Amino acid sequence: MRKRTLRRGLTAFWWFTLAFLYLPLAVVVLFSFNASNSAASFTGISLRWYYRLLGNEEILSAFANSMVLAIVSSVIALVIGCLIGYGMYRHRHRKLGWLIVLIYLPIVLPDIVFGISEMAFFVQVHRLTGLLQPGLPTMIIAHVTFQIPFVALIIYSRFVGLDPTLFEAAKDLYATPAKRVVHFMLPTIKPALISAFFLSFTLSIDDFVISFFTAGPESATLPIYIWGAIKKGVSPEINAIATLMIGAVAIAAIISLVFSRRRPA
Amino acid sequence: MSYAGVIPSARSRGMVRESRHLLFTVAPGATWILVFLVLPSAYLMGVAFMTNGPYGLPEMPLSLESFKRLAGFGFLGWSPGNLYTLLRSLWQTLVSTGLVVLVAYPIAYYITTCREKWRPILLLLVVVPSWTNQVIRTFGWMNLLAPGTPLSELAEALGLISANMGLYPSNFAVTLGLVYNFLPFMVLPLYAAFEKLDTAQVEAAQDLYASPVRAFWHAVFPQTLPGLLAGIVLVAIPAFGMYVIPELLGGGKGMMLGNLVANQFAGGSNWPLGAAGAILMLLATFVGLFVMRRIGKRLGGGEEVVI
Repeated sequence: MRKRTLRRGLTAFWWFTLAFLYLPLAVVVLFSFNASNSAASFTGISLRWYYRLLGNEEILSAFANSMVLAIVSSVIALVIGCLIGYGMYRHRHRKLGWLIVLIYLPIVLPDIVFGISEMAFFVQVHRLTGLLQPGLPTMIIAHVTFQIPFVALIIYSRFVGLDPTLFEAAKDLYATPAKRVVHFMLPTIKPALISAFFLSFTLSIDDFVISFFTAGPESATLPIYIWGAIKKGVSPEINAIATLMIGAVAIAAIISLVFSRRRPA
Repeated sequence: MSYAGVIPSARSRGMVRESRHLLFTVAPGATWILVFLVLPSAYLMGVAFMTNGPYGLPEMPLSLESFKRLAGFGFLGWSPGNLYTLLRSLWQTLVSTGLVVLVAYPIAYYITTCREKWRPILLLLVVVPSWTNQVIRTFGWMNLLAPGTPLSELAEALGLISANMGLYPSNFAVTLGLVYNFLPFMVLPLYAAFEKLDTAQVEAAQDLYASPVRAFWHAVFPQTLPGLLAGIVLVAIPAFGMYVIPELLGGGKGMMLGNLVANQFAGGSNWPLGAAGAILMLLATFVGLFVMRRIGKRLGGGEEVVI
């Protein structure tokens, strides 16, 4: 008897918590279809805020910046992270403590410290050498820095999960290292590669703080644009872009999940 | 290395090749992180010991001026502003982590009581909102807590806030935002701990007529402790350095350390002061990580904190 009340209480608490988790997102999505520009009352369904997005040059360029940033940084991080993940696996019997510390550093460093370090560094390098002017290139560098560890850890754990004798077999089967990479390694880690790419992509799109501090005047991404719009005073257009982003990230993340053999963690 | 030790020269050649392999695979990434993160962080730490120049940029000579400013000593004598900000950061971290633990325990337990094939989906339902950009999620709360919204009017009717104030900006809104933001990070490790739970111990406790509270405390809690510690690391450390949530939901009186640091750079007002704040944040991060690992090892969890 007591067990059943406990169970019912738990179920109620679960639904309450889910409502708590989805309410803010639901409000954003709902008001993106609001006919009036009131943030407090819903007066009817309309797509006017979405049409308005299409005519807004700033938003379109922010969208383009976000995409270029996410794709370019993910590709670079994939190559570098993949190499490091394989190196960690192949040489796992050596003492690589310093490497582990180095790889975890971008993960444990608070975002704000990460962002301002990069900003201070880029500004000084630019002052002294004229290189690395704040803009998309500096943002790409910063994003790659925080994506590398995640790619490396995904690739590493995929290799660890493999039967070690497979490597011996591949050695017997294919004469050159290049052939081994093309015919054995890349196909074997393909799911991990795809999952790592989409995770990097999602991390990049999701990031605000680090982008904010490394951006130049011309390189605002969508989150930076939204941030500015919120600071200037809330406009219903924000709801529309935000809704599109909620949808896009959910799709990318689900693809990553499907391809990943690991549990979401 | 099947030929290792057979002929010395072949062995050393093999080792050279292995080392070169290590260099080729690891060097690009390691160099990248060294040049674009370790070097900038080291530079930032140096900045904290420099003097603030007229344009907000760091200049020589070296001094401890910025640390004095951080402690509240300005041109007009001592003021408690920065100290309040620091205490508020600690307090918000403590309260929000505590609340997250209170919500996450039943949720993680509930998921493990469901049928096995549903569990990954339920877990996913908890995690999915955190995939959306933090700015957007916080904006959602601004919409919900603004004056005139149902939640604000409810709070007004209950006499919790004065008329037309709205629930945001306030310290309460910041706490709520933090709990919302970090809940999934606590549910995931706790769920992993609950899934491995040895239920025989719990049943034994119940057979011996232990009250639910005692059964939880003696049979469940110790077993989920590694998950709890991992969760605290994932929640408390980023919460302490949070920038977006207090900036949007807190207003002037809700500022936390992250805002104090960021403002010195965003407005270009005082880099050394911001850098000193960043050092404080780094110290908190590493002390926090260290303490949690020690507690974890001492209590026999022995489990590595997985991120």
